[in-house]
Amino acid sequence: MDTTLPQRLIELSIHSLKHVQNQPFQLNQQTIQQSNGFNPQALQLKIQPIPLRPKHEEIIVAAVDTSSMKIGETTTGTLIAIRGANVWKQNKNYRYIRLGPFIFHITEENKKEVYKTLQRAYFNTPHEQNHLNSPNLQQMPTRMANLLERWLQTMLSKTINNGLILFDGSLTSGTPDTPISLMKEILEIARKRGNIVLAFSKMTNLRFNGHLITDVLPRHKPPYMLETADLKPKPPIVLLGDVYVARLTKGNYAFRLDIDKEISFERSIQAVEKLLGNDLLSQSYPETLRLAHILCTFTANEVIAMQHFIASKYSLKIINRPDMHRLLFGPFGKGEGNS
Amino acid sequence: MKLYKKESNIVQILSFPNETVEKGDYLLIEDADAGKALIAQVIDVQFANIPGILEELLRNLPDGGELVQGEDFDPLEIAPHITYIQDASLLICKIRATVENENLSPSSSWLPSRSQSTIKKLPIPTLLKLAKVDGKLPIVLGGAKDSSLLTIDASSLDGRLNIITGKKETGKSHLSKLLMLNLIGYKAMVVVFDLNGEYLSLGMTVDGKRNAYYDKIHVLAPSQNFKVALKQLNLHVLLEILIHALHLPGTSAREFRRIWQSLKERDMLNLHELGEAIRNWHCNQHVRDALFSRYYALVNSGFFTDKFGEATFLEECLFKANEQGGAIIVNLRNTSLIDRQIVVEYLLGKFVELLTNWKLKAVFLFAEEAHLYLRETYWDDIVTRMRHFGIFTTFITNQPDTIRENIYRQADNIFLFNFTNEHDLEVVSRAARVDAETVKSIARDLPPHHCLTLGKVVRDFPMVVKVKALDVKTMGETRLFFKE
Repeated sequence: MDTTLPQRLIELSIHSLKHVQNQPFQLNQQTIQQSNGFNPQALQLKIQPIPLRPKHEEIIVAAVDTSSMKIGETTTGTLIAIRGANVWKQNKNYRYIRLGPFIFHITEENKKEVYKTLQRAYFNTPHEQNHLNSPNLQQMPTRMANLLERWLQTMLSKTINNGLILFDGSLTSGTPDTPISLMKEILEIARKRGNIVLAFSKMTNLRFNGHLITDVLPRHKPPYMLETADLKPKPPIVLLGDVYVARLTKGNYAFRLDIDKEISFERSIQAVEKLLGNDLLSQSYPETLRLAHILCTFTANEVIAMQHFIASKYSLKIINRPDMHRLLFGPFGKGEGNS
Repeated sequence: MKLYKKESNIVQILSFPNETVEKGDYLLIEDADAGKALIAQVIDVQFANIPGILEELLRNLPDGGELVQGEDFDPLEIAPHITYIQDASLLICKIRATVENENLSPSSSWLPSRSQSTIKKLPIPTLLKLAKVDGKLPIVLGGAKDSSLLTIDASSLDGRLNIITGKKETGKSHLSKLLMLNLIGYKAMVVVFDLNGEYLSLGMTVDGKRNAYYDKIHVLAPSQNFKVALKQLNLHVLLEILIHALHLPGTSAREFRRIWQSLKERDMLNLHELGEAIRNWHCNQHVRDALFSRYYALVNSGFFTDKFGEATFLEECLFKANEQGGAIIVNLRNTSLIDRQIVVEYLLGKFVELLTNWKLKAVFLFAEEAHLYLRETYWDDIVTRMRHFGIFTTFITNQPDTIRENIYRQADNIFLFNFTNEHDLEVVSRAARVDAETVKSIARDLPPHHCLTLGKVVRDFPMVVKVKALDVKTMGETRLFFKE
């Protein structure tokens, strides 16, 4: 297993934290937010459902998810934590590998270095995105988590054969944290080993006739999928998957499902049927992916533990910077996170 | 440890896994700037309400209740910190006193600094020293929670009403024996109403040899070596027996009084003459029948005798014990309910008589399961009137609801062993010398032979003690059928 990225993450984490020693830091007053960007676009939705029949032919189902968290502020930057998890179901048992948490002290001075170093560690070869500017401080938690997520996705693609790999989100690329070549590379590696990538989006901005595609559900007994067409994103955004609406269980839950474009329609349908036959599905969402999300999400308890770790190991004095909203507006100030 | 909250006289303290604190421990919350400290006792240990703990626990059990197997790559070793936070506990503590310049006051009206206060365990010896739980007549009860010895002063039992209670087989009798033997050691006179014959061999060691108390333990077996001649009896004592133990109606009691006075004037007070007098007395037939039935109850008890020589042992023992200290064990094991009541009525009347005349100095009375032989009206009598005569009672029971609430309210010391039953704890918690929360919370978790000591003996600082072992033959074991 390629351990370059975790190794780099540790080195950078420790290096960045050493520079924050004995500084006071402000606890993050915002609630946990895990971001996911979408581009609203118009498209066609084929209302004729594609019925699905669970296929019980045994295969591995694996999923990836990552999580990021801002755990506090220092006088010069922010303290962030990222964590990722791979979960797979094999022989009816779920297993996982969880990486992290990795804690970083990101400042205006070191953010470029941190991000570029990780990109280099991950990409190995120079990439077009390497030349882009590094993200701003607010974007750093998400971007760092995305880097870890891509690395975990690559690892799964390289290690699993003839399985289903579930991603959290879409197969949209061309964004700063998902370069086209990178996503293509991941999908290609997966295909070479007989794997099929299915990407589930918990939220979508895609609309059909003004309605969210996940709200336009025909009266048909689930499980089924709806096919979309004529989805043309504006450059530099590229869709590397075919977009479907998947309603996999009873109830009114449906998700946007992207399936690798290079996979034939029939194989794509079979892949979802195999997912139905091999994984638990609740509220139309695969359990493997749910577990990956649950395992990497930071609980409040863990946030306190990380703050305790930083305070005890790096002698940080915890201070509370006044919340200006509360200070100015009293009970009408709902806190900076809700401004 | 960190001070978290204070409400009324309860403080909540956040404690971390490396700080081992248990129920019953004492903590010193010291505010150096204020120059004062609070002494608080832990009455409950709870999990701290850590944000996100439910999610943390739930995510480890998503697979149909089984743990999801996996590996964690945690290079910064955050996991121990998570465990550290998760295992934090919240100590619910009762404020017992404030220390200022080494002086104790029961006040809890001030608030120590939450951020600056230091909190540490208060060793029992230090607390005992601060509370001045010392004296010239030490009784070592056993080991306190921090393995130090808990020593009380015998004088704190003097003139006091004590209760030893707890469920079966927790060590109540053992503690009463320990207190009793120590009192004897200080030349006190102890009387035990021994319902199960547990105290008979206190003069012997476990291996059957005579111990230091051998000559001071006097066992009285009613109807055997303990008999009474009618001449020794006061009329009012006998009337108490007839009315309260044998339920003689008032009219018949009046006739009996006349018969008694008639016999006394003729110096013919003996059982035979009493029987003849009842037979020949001019009275209503129903009264005669009533008197006869009681007369035969007295005769059949075997407790009364016409031979004066047989009836001297009690006074001999009493005077010996009064001079040198000693225990009079009244063995009520093989005695019927009526006979028990007769014996107890007689003894209490006798003690009052001797104490009133200053023939006895004071009596420490140990009464096991007193509801089985003590009449209703005697309870108040014992804790109020008789105390002034010099009868200092220790009630021992495993049924706390057999002791009236007013007895608990007046109890000076309570030695509380384990109770799990809510109702039992509710009864005991009515004691005036302690708050209900302490009793309910600590007593429920006491292991066998551990006792929560409350009251004047510990200067109202409730303390848990493991009662020390005694090298005496206890004979308190239950007879078993399936015994190897």
